[in-house]
Formats: sequence, structure tokens, C-alpha cells
Amino acid sequence: MTRAVERSFAVRWRDFSLGRYRRHLRRLTLLAALVVLAAWRAEVNMHDLITGLGRGLSMVGLFLPPKWDAFPEMIEPAFVTVLIAATATPIGALCSILFGLAASRNIAPAWLRAATRTAIALERGIPEIVILLILVAAFGIGPFSGVVALVIGSIGMLGKLVGDAIEEIDPRTVESVACTGASRAQIIRYAMLPEVLPSLLANSMFRFEVNIRASVLLGAVGAGGIGYELSTAMSQVEYNKAATAALVSFALVMAAERASDHLRSKVLSRGQLA
Amino acid sequence: MLSVNSLTKRLPDGTVLLNAITFTVEKGEFVGILGPSGAGKSLTMRCMVGLTSVSAGSVVFTGEQGRTYTTTTIKGNELRRARRNIGVIFQGSNLVKRLTVLENVMIGRLGRIHPLRSWLYGFTDREAEEALAALDRVGLASFSGRQTGSLSGGEMQRVAIARAIYQRPLCYLADEPIASLDPKNSRAIMKLLQPLARDHPIVGSFHQPDMTAEFCTRVLGLRNGTIVYDGPPRLTRAQLAEIYSQDLSLEPEETLDAMSGPVLGHPVTSTGHWL
Repeated sequence: MTRAVERSFAVRWRDFSLGRYRRHLRRLTLLAALVVLAAWRAEVNMHDLITGLGRGLSMVGLFLPPKWDAFPEMIEPAFVTVLIAATATPIGALCSILFGLAASRNIAPAWLRAATRTAIALERGIPEIVILLILVAAFGIGPFSGVVALVIGSIGMLGKLVGDAIEEIDPRTVESVACTGASRAQIIRYAMLPEVLPSLLANSMFRFEVNIRASVLLGAVGAGGIGYELSTAMSQVEYNKAATAALVSFALVMAAERASDHLRSKVLSRGQLA
Repeated sequence: MLSVNSLTKRLPDGTVLLNAITFTVEKGEFVGILGPSGAGKSLTMRCMVGLTSVSAGSVVFTGEQGRTYTTTTIKGNELRRARRNIGVIFQGSNLVKRLTVLENVMIGRLGRIHPLRSWLYGFTDREAEEALAALDRVGLASFSGRQTGSLSGGEMQRVAIARAIYQRPLCYLADEPIASLDPKNSRAIMKLLQPLARDHPIVGSFHQPDMTAEFCTRVLGLRNGTIVYDGPPRLTRAQLAEIYSQDLSLEPEETLDAMSGPVLGHPVTSTGHWL
């Protein structure tokens, strides 16, 4: 063995020794200190965890068995929950095309893009529940408020995605269409929408799943549907009935997830990437 | 037909990219522009269709019924009217990938159909048949239903030509139509372009002097934004050397920077000039 090889071997050997963690030590200590500080501020302690767990488990016992004969009266609320999401998702997706165009620097003027991006960011910063509470004040308790809240939420997510997708379109493609004498509207129709619609469709499927989840949650706050059944059963101390409602909403969310995954894979495999 | 008068393009920092480019193109001509990368070939073409603003000079295009358009200054509807009479054969990779081949060809007529119809109804059967005929002319009729993104480079280039043919323009501009193709495909494309030039002149930029010598009727040599040769397509070795000789004042990196700067990199984002 030449000396150079020997030396390189030694270097590699040292790289695998415990010592190589030493340079991370300071950062790890800092991180650990932060976690301890956070835990102390959040009043985390082991004693409460263990006694609390026991109490929680005995609470779960109250829910069992689910009240099966309450199942028929859950069907209609379950439909309401699905309908809220099923109405809000396509409307939100359509609106998000307009918002997406307004948020793209290659089609919208700078002031419009800035205004739209700010509005979208603001919306994304506000939880849907807060939006719903504001809307309930405007439109009253009921599914309509839920639909509007979810449309706004969908625009916040899909509008941003569409806007980003449009901005990523190759400017040379846009120019080559513009060179035929096409108008701005025609450029949107033939150079931009074809490139972004497949991904919008796939993202809308995903958003439908999110909207089902949100629709259950919003139901509890006043949008109606299965979430409302759940929260009233809880407040009337009918835990077995609440368990039925929880099971139904669990089934809804699972079904929505499977359906959205299936449709999404179909859309994605058809609009194969170029 | 097409006259380019002292076309000049300067960057804000004073770099001259095009220096008083002057030439005219008449009916029946197939003009090939030769020159090293960064010489200003593509930029000249972009200025000719109003994609890039110019610092000085003008491009005058004689359109339908003798109407003249100064494409370097007009905007909006007037520019669109001029553009629909100029068939731009761009690099095939600039097609709309997710549309079918036939749809990409039909985009060539967008400037002639009412925006409302193109939005709501799309194209008529007759337009589709004509588009199919244009595809047939480049030998791709059987590809009409394919998604454009799945085509090879040579096939996409033919689709781009079919689109320009379908547009029924009065002249063609071809920006490096054979730049990314193998010799066999390059010949095939040149053979497609040559007969088009008989009715409507073509201005194209190329990197292959042998191709322009064989197919073009005239060659322009561009170097550092200046025309250094304008004449018959068969150039002597010395003439070629003059076009392609190394220029020591501009390092290769600087040339690239000039190419990717605000002028060519993202013209849409910087000036919105395509509108």
C-alpha cells in the first residue's frame, strides 16, 4: 500500500467514527434546549399525561356501543355534508381560474397581480372556521354559509396553484401563439388553459377531499350536516349517538379520499407530462 | 414586401446588439441569415414581428392589398392584423404541448376568426379539413390526433411548419427551424420550405452554411449585430471565415449574458410586448 492510499484510508475511517457527530453537537444542544423550553412553557408533564390518559379512555367507553338505530337519521345530514363540498369545489375551481389569471405576471398587469396575490395570501392566513363565523353573521346559520366559506377556501388554494402554473408556462409558447395575431383572450384559451387545466382538475379532486373534511368541521359550527349532528349529540350528552355520527363522518372522509385518489390518478395518467 | 431599415437594438447599459441592420426581401426570395450564436439572428426576427422593441430603425411589411405595416411601432389590433399575414415558423418545441397536433395547426388561424367564436365554439369542420391538408403537406396527417408533447423534435418542427402554412401568410419568418435536428431531418425540412418561398418569401436563420448554399436564394451574414455579407448563397471560405471569425472584444460568456438578458430571456415578463 502506498502512503497516499494509506492516508486516504485513514481519513475515511475517521469519517465513520463517533467523532463525526461532534460538529453537530452545538446545534443539537441548542435544539434540545429549545424543545425543553417549549415543553416547560406548554406545561407538559408526565403525571398529567398518565392520569389524563386513563380519564380519556374511560370517556371513550361512554361512546360504546354506537347507537346503531340512530343511523337512518344520519343519512340526510351526511348528504348535506357531501353536497356542501360537492357544490363548493367546482364553483371554487371555476373561480380559481379567474383568480389564477389575475395572479399571473405573464397575463395580468402588475397592480392586479399584487392585489390578487395579497387577497389570496390573506385568505390563506384565515382559518375557514373564522370565515364561516363571519359568513354566518351575514347569511345566517345553514349550509349556504358553509358553501360560501368553502368556495372562498378553495379559491385560496386552487387560485394560487393556477396562478403559479400559468406563470410557469414557457413564454416562447405564448409568443408563438401571439405571433399568429391571436388576441389576449385567444392566448388564454389556446396557450394557457390547455397547459394548466389538467393539473387544476387533479388539484380540485384533492381539494374535494379537503372540503369534505372541512365540511364536517364547519357543520359543527353552524353549516349543518353530519358535523352538526355530532356536536348536538355531544352537547346533549348522547355519547352513543355521537359515536354513530363520528363513524358516519369517518366513512365519508375515507370514501372521499379513495374517490379523489382514484380520479386523480386517472386524470394524471391521461394528461401525461410532455 | 419586407424592408428592414437601420434596425438598431441597444441594451440600457449601452451594449449594441443590432447595429443598423438593413435589407429588403422581395417575392420569390428564400433568405438565409447565417452567423454565430449571439450575433443577433433571432433578435432581428423578433424585432420584425414586434416581439421585442427596437431602439432605432423600422421594419415595414406590405400586407394584404398593398397595406403597409410598420411592425416596429404598431400595437394592439394593428399589430395583430400585421402578424396574421406573417407566418412565423418558430422552433417546434414552442408548440402547445398538451393540445393535439391538429389543434396546434389550427392555432395558425386564430388571428382571422372572431375571438368569441374561438372561445365558445372552436373551429369549423372546414377549417379542420384545411388544417389536415396542411398537415398532409408536411407528411404528418396520420398524427393529427396525437398529443403534441409526445412527438419527436423533427415531427414538432414539421407541425410548426404546417401551422405556418395553414395560416396562409404573405411571408414566412423561420427562426432556426433546423437547429436541433439531425442532417436527414434538416434536409427534409429545407425541402419543405423551399417550394413555399416561391409564392411567399422566407427569411430564416440557420447554422449550416451547406444547407443555405443548397436551398436559399440569398444569404445574409450577421456578426456582432452587423451585416457583414449580403449576396448569393454560395459563400467562399474567406467569406464564411469573416462571418464566423472569433471576435475578441466579446467573450463567450458575455454573449450568453446578452442572449439571456431582458431582451431574449423573458420578454413577456419584462415588456409584455407580445400583446
